[in-house]
Amino acid sequence: MSRSLRWGIGLLLIAGLLLGAFFFLPFRSWLPGGTVANIATREVVNGTLFNRLFPKPQTGEQLVFTQEKRGFSQARLKQGAEVRALLSISDVASSPASRNKFIHSDERLQSWPLVDQGSQASALLVADRFQVKVIGQGSGLDVQQRHELLGAFDLSALAALNPAALQAPAIPSGRGALPPGNQAPLRLPLPGLQRQASQPSKARGPQPAANRKPSLFNRFNRANAALEPAA
Amino acid sequence: MSATVLERLERLPRRNLTVLALRGVSTLVPGGWQNQTSPEALISDVLGSDDLDLVQQVRARADELSRARHEGYRRALSLYDAVNRSQKAAGGLRVLANVAGALPLVKRLAVLTPASQTLQAVDLSLKVAAEMLAFTQVNGLPGDSFAAFGDSLREYSGEARVRMAALVCFDALLPLGDNALHRLDGLLGQVGSRELHQLPSYAGMASLLPGRGDAAHLSFVRRGVDQWLGWADGFVGDLGLSGQRAVRALETTIGPWHGGMEQLATFLDAFTDTYSHTGVQAVARRLVERAAAEI
Repeated sequence: MSRSLRWGIGLLLIAGLLLGAFFFLPFRSWLPGGTVANIATREVVNGTLFNRLFPKPQTGEQLVFTQEKRGFSQARLKQGAEVRALLSISDVASSPASRNKFIHSDERLQSWPLVDQGSQASALLVADRFQVKVIGQGSGLDVQQRHELLGAFDLSALAALNPAALQAPAIPSGRGALPPGNQAPLRLPLPGLQRQASQPSKARGPQPAANRKPSLFNRFNRANAALEPAA
Repeated sequence: MSATVLERLERLPRRNLTVLALRGVSTLVPGGWQNQTSPEALISDVLGSDDLDLVQQVRARADELSRARHEGYRRALSLYDAVNRSQKAAGGLRVLANVAGALPLVKRLAVLTPASQTLQAVDLSLKVAAEMLAFTQVNGLPGDSFAAFGDSLREYSGEARVRMAALVCFDALLPLGDNALHRLDGLLGQVGSRELHQLPSYAGMASLLPGRGDAAHLSFVRRGVDQWLGWADGFVGDLGLSGQRAVRALETTIGPWHGGMEQLATFLDAFTDTYSHTGVQAVARRLVERAAAEI
């Protein structure tokens, strides 16, 4: 067997193995295209949190949840057997283009921009992050009824779900408040470093909560202290 | 890249045996059924407006959503496809056996084909399990939320109602007789892993069923069927469905039938794909409802 033939067969085998690994092993979920608009699912607010913000059904009406996904939740408003409207809350993080329609709107509902789409749909953009929409079904709803329904959502609680608002210092920081990837404080197993790092927080008096769940700012200070022991 | 959900909807047949069979069954269900195969018509129906620009936006968003693997819309379709393929394969075998049974030399073939009632019962319950799994994929609930599935069955309307009527008629009442639903649990009790492996749809679905091993899958299927049975009993009672009525309803569209009910069921299994036809329509509607809310 000639030398080049052996090399050729070897390379073919390697290429075959690599291709096989790529197509048959479960790497699919690592490839792009798994999520909408290629935005990581953890950066989109979970639809489970939206469910309790839907309007409370009035007498004779019934609210039936139909879809609940990452960044989306939808319910049908029914009166008897007839579907009156589709109510939904979605996180616009995965559909940035949907924000554009609100730019030129002058209408406001509880200070959030309001837009009518076609003859049966009205949308509201809350906290520049969540789109609340009512779509009339069956015999339809008029503009007034749709706007009333939009107002019946718990809009202030929805605005508070915005991750940008959660990171603001006014709200006590919890586990969910830190951006993804920074949620657990980094602890290096170096005894000298830890002793030095704990000094500045002692000097500022007892702060048990800050010690247990340090905010970004706090951690930054500690890191500085560790680098410059004299400070 | 395979087709998106709305492309699949567009490619559905407008008039063939499947559509005729469904139209026949829909005469038994109040509210009727419309063979919706145009994405644009579906979008403007959901949106309540014919604005071309809006319709196009919804369509683009729906395609984007169905291309995203994590969203599960296409996985729901692949479930329906798996069930449909196996139904056709099994139906074809049985048709062959019926034909072969008449020929003296190959008569023995007829004995080999899996057409026993137990297998029919397993086939039905795998379809119910596929329905439930597809439901969880589309609605985004965890894979074993039996109670949520039971509740949602009551909410089924339009095409899903006709689909369930078709499932009850073609896979329960015709092949197993009028008391099929009461016998189903007993029949499932006799099922072992040997029967399960005789069905091609099980091989296709096994990886999508929660739990590991045949026993776990079988118990999952049985729990799903329990939920479904509770609802199906009421459904059959409300509409007064029976094998005879199903045959008569089908005769209005596909012409007179002179054979037995079991043969009709075999014929429908082999030559129609009602389950995936209505499945595509139902998933497309959910997808459009979401896309319309997100644009």
